Amino acid sequence: MSVSKVLFSTLAVSALAIAAPATAKIATGSNVADMTVTDSNGVQHNLSDFAGQKVVLEWTNEGCPYVAKHYSTNNMQKTQAMAEADGSVWLSVISSAPGKQGYKTGEEANAWKDAQGAEVTAIVLDPEGEMGQTFAAKTTPHMYIIDEAQTLVYQGAIDDNRSANPATVEGAENYVLSAMNDLKAGNAVAVSDTAPYGCSVKYKS
Amino acid sequence: MRAIILTAVIWLLALPAFASESESVDTGKVVASIVSSHDSVAPGQEFYIALRTVLDEGWHTYWRNPGDSGEPVQISWKMPEDVTAGEIYWPLPRPIPTGPIVNYGFEGTPLFPVKFTVSPDAEIGTDITVVSNFYYLVCEEICIPEYGSASLSVAVGDPVIDARWSAEIEAALAASPTRGEVQGAIQKSGNVVDISFTDLPEGDFSNAYFFPYDQGVLGHSNPQTVIKGTQGLILTTTPDYLWEDTTPKTLEGVLTFDDGGALKGTNIALAVGQNLDIGESYVPPVGFGKVTLWTAIFGALIGGLILNLMPCVFPVISIKALSIAKTAHGERSVIRREAWLYTAGVMATFLLLTGVLLALKAGGAEIGWGFQLQSPKVVAILAVLLFVIGLNLLGVFEFGSGLQNTGQSLTQKSGAAGSFFTGALAVVVATPCTAPMMAGAVGYALAAPAIVTLAVFMALALGFALPFLLIAYVPGLLSRLPKPGPWMARFKEVLSFPMFAAAIWLVWVLNLQAGDDGLLTVLSAMLAVAIAIWCFKHTKTFGKAIGALALLAAIVMPLSISAGTSAGEVVAAELKAETWSPARVAEIQAEGRPVFVDFTAAWCVTCKVNEKLVLNTAKVQTLFEETDTAFLVADWTNKDDVIAAELAKYGRAGVPLYLVYSNNSVSPVILPQTLSYKVISEAIAGE
Repeated sequence: MSVSKVLFSTLAVSALAIAAPATAKIATGSNVADMTVTDSNGVQHNLSDFAGQKVVLEWTNEGCPYVAKHYSTNNMQKTQAMAEADGSVWLSVISSAPGKQGYKTGEEANAWKDAQGAEVTAIVLDPEGEMGQTFAAKTTPHMYIIDEAQTLVYQGAIDDNRSANPATVEGAENYVLSAMNDLKAGNAVAVSDTAPYGCSVKYKS
Repeated sequence: MRAIILTAVIWLLALPAFASESESVDTGKVVASIVSSHDSVAPGQEFYIALRTVLDEGWHTYWRNPGDSGEPVQISWKMPEDVTAGEIYWPLPRPIPTGPIVNYGFEGTPLFPVKFTVSPDAEIGTDITVVSNFYYLVCEEICIPEYGSASLSVAVGDPVIDARWSAEIEAALAASPTRGEVQGAIQKSGNVVDISFTDLPEGDFSNAYFFPYDQGVLGHSNPQTVIKGTQGLILTTTPDYLWEDTTPKTLEGVLTFDDGGALKGTNIALAVGQNLDIGESYVPPVGFGKVTLWTAIFGALIGGLILNLMPCVFPVISIKALSIAKTAHGERSVIRREAWLYTAGVMATFLLLTGVLLALKAGGAEIGWGFQLQSPKVVAILAVLLFVIGLNLLGVFEFGSGLQNTGQSLTQKSGAAGSFFTGALAVVVATPCTAPMMAGAVGYALAAPAIVTLAVFMALALGFALPFLLIAYVPGLLSRLPKPGPWMARFKEVLSFPMFAAAIWLVWVLNLQAGDDGLLTVLSAMLAVAIAIWCFKHTKTFGKAIGALALLAAIVMPLSISAGTSAGEVVAAELKAETWSPARVAEIQAEGRPVFVDFTAAWCVTCKVNEKLVLNTAKVQTLFEETDTAFLVADWTNKDDVIAAELAKYGRAGVPLYLVYSNNSVSPVILPQTLSYKVISEAIAGE
C-alpha cells in the first residue's frame, strides 16, 4: 500500500474532488428549507414560523447605487407597503460582511430603516452570508417571494429596468408587485425567474 | 536628428484644429475620452470613434452581459445627420470573481470602438462634431455608477488617418471576437449543460470559457470545466432559469481561449441539441494540473521504475535478478549485454502494444491500457505460462539436455533470447498494473497525437528497464549483489510461490470472463503441460512425441476459450449493486439520491483491493444505506465501448475510477484511486 501511496503522490494521479459549486440556486417552485435567522433586534426567526403567510425577501446594501435608486424614488418603500397591506411578511436581508460596504449592526440597521421609512417586518443580519448563500443571492437588490406553502414562487430582479439611474424606475415593470398580484388573483406567478441586477452582494471573502 | 524631431513636434503642435481625441473626463474611478481613427474623413467613408476608458487599479467595468451583477458600459451618441453610428465592438471579457459571485467585465484600459459611416452627401470643408454620453458602473468591492460626456470633431475632406488612435482602435478591433469556423452546440441534461465546440482555431483551450450574450443561460458563478478532445472540446457547467420553461432555439456568445499568451475570442451561435463529436477526449485529473508532455514523460519514467515492485511484476523480475546474480561476478560486458537485451525486450514489447493500441484507436475502437487482459485467450495463456515458470522455479524440471532440443521456456534461455524475452514477459504481465497506476500519464498519452503516445510509452518502458541498466553500469551496485551460492536454489524455489499466486489470480479472472468452461479448459491445459514436462523428462522418442502433442494441446486449449456470460456477477456482490449506465445515473440523480459509481474490472488489482478493504465493509454499506446512495458498478472486465468512453471523459484510460454524484453538486467528484471511508463519506455529503 505504501508503495502505491508514494506512487500516487509522485505522479499526483490521484484525483481530488472537484469543488462543489457553492451557490446552487433554489429552483423556483421548490420548497424552501427551514432556517433560523437573527434580526436587527436580536430576535431569532425560523422561516417555518411564517408558514401560512407570503414572505418577501429583499437583499439590500445601503451603499449600493441600485438600492439607492429604489429607496430614493420610494419605489422599494411602496412595494413594501403593498406587501404589508396584503398581509405578507417582508424581510430585508443584509449579507454584507463586517468591514464591507453595507454592513450594519442591529442599531445601525434600525436607524437606517427609520431614516428610509422602510416598512419591513424585520431586517435580517447575515454577516456570515449563510442565508445569502442558501438563496444564492447575487445582487442588491435581489428579490424572492415564498408563498404560504413555503414554496419559492419568484426570484430575481425587482423590475425590468436594469439601470442604476433613478429616472428609470418610472415605467418599469415591478416584478415583485406583478407576482403578488398574480398570487392574489389565485394564478401562478407568470414571470417567476428573472436575472437579478445590481451590485454584487458583499459576502465575506 | 534633433532638428527633425523638433520639426515633427512643431508640426504636431501646429495640427490640431480637428482633435482626434476629446478632452479627458475624470468621472471618479475612470478617466474617459473619445478618440477617432481619422482626423479627416471623406464623404461616404467609414471610420471609427471609440470610448477610451482608463480604470483605476483594481476597478472594473462590465461586458454586454455583466454576469451575476453589474451593468454594461453604455454609450449614446449625438451627431449631425450626415453620420450614422453602429454598435459597440466589445472587447473580450474576463470572468471577474468576487466571493461566490462571478462577473464578466474589464480591467485596465478597455477601448469600445464604434463604426461611423459618413454620408456621401457630407459637404467637404465642414466639421462633424460627435458628442458621446457614456455611462458605466465601475466596481471594486463597492460599485459606483459614473457617467460623463465628451466630444470631438473631424473634418470632411481628404481622409487623414490619426496614427496613434487608429493604431489603438485597429488593435482593439483585431482583439474583439469575430465569427470564425468554429461550430458549437449546447445540450442540457438535468442540472448540467455541455457546450461542445469543433473546428477550433489554433490556440490553447485549457482555460477556454464561453460568455453567453444573454443572462439566464448559464450559471455564471459555476465553473466551466474543460474537456478536450482530439476534434474539439466540451465545456461543462450549469444551466440557469431560461431553460425552465422553454428550450432556447439558438444561443449566442463568445468563446475565449489563449493563443501564444494573448486572449483570443470567437463569436458563436450555439445550436441547441445534441453535442458535437469532439473525438477522443481527455481531462487531466483534478490535482494533476496540466499534464504537459514533459511531466507525462517524466511521470511515465518514474512510474515504470516503480512498476518493478508491483505484485504482478515482481516474480518475473526476480527471475531476471537471479540471472543477473548468476553472472554478477562474471564478465561485465556480458552483464551489460544482458541488461541491454532485457531493455530491448521491454521496449520492443511496449512498442508492439503501443502499436496495436494506436492501430485500434485509429480504427475507432474504444480501448484502454490493460486491454490485452480483456481477451480471455491471453489471460489463459499467461496463466499456463506462469504455472510452467512456477514449476520450473520449484525444480520440477530443469531446462536440461532432454528439453533443450525440443524447445524450452524462452525466459529461461541463457543469453540473448532469454534476456530479451524476460523483458517481454515482464511487460505483458505488468500492464494490468500500469493501467491503474499510470492513469494520468497513460490517459494523456492516449488522447495525444501518436508520436506523443509513443514517447510516453517509451519513457515508461525505459523506466521499467532502468534497474537492470543501473546494475549493469553502476559499479557499486553490482558488487553489492549477493554472491552466488546454494541459497540461490532455495531462493529460486521460493520465487515459484508468487508465480503460482499470479497464475491463480489469472485463472480467477478467466473464470469471470469465460465462465466454468474457460476454467475447465485452462486447468486442463495446465494438466497437459504437466504431462508434457513429464514425458520430456522421463521417456524416449515415442513418449516425447506424446509430450509434444500434450504441449500442443496446452497451447491450443487456451486459444479455444471465448468470453462467457458470467462476467461481473461476482463483483461487489455484498453491496446492492446496480449495473451502471449514464441514463441510470441521471434517473437516480433526478430522484435526489447520491450516486456512487465503481468502474472496475476483474483483472484490476487496485479495484479488488478497494472493494475488499473499503467498499465491501459493513461501515461503507451502512453509509450507503443511511444516505440512500445508489451503488452502480461499471464492469470493464470485458471490452465495453460505453464504459471506455466514460473513462475517457474523466481522463482515464483504465480502471479503477470512482465517481460520486452528491446531492449538492451537479458534476461528480472523482475520488482518489485508493479509497477510504472518509473520502467516500465526505464526497457523498458533498463536502
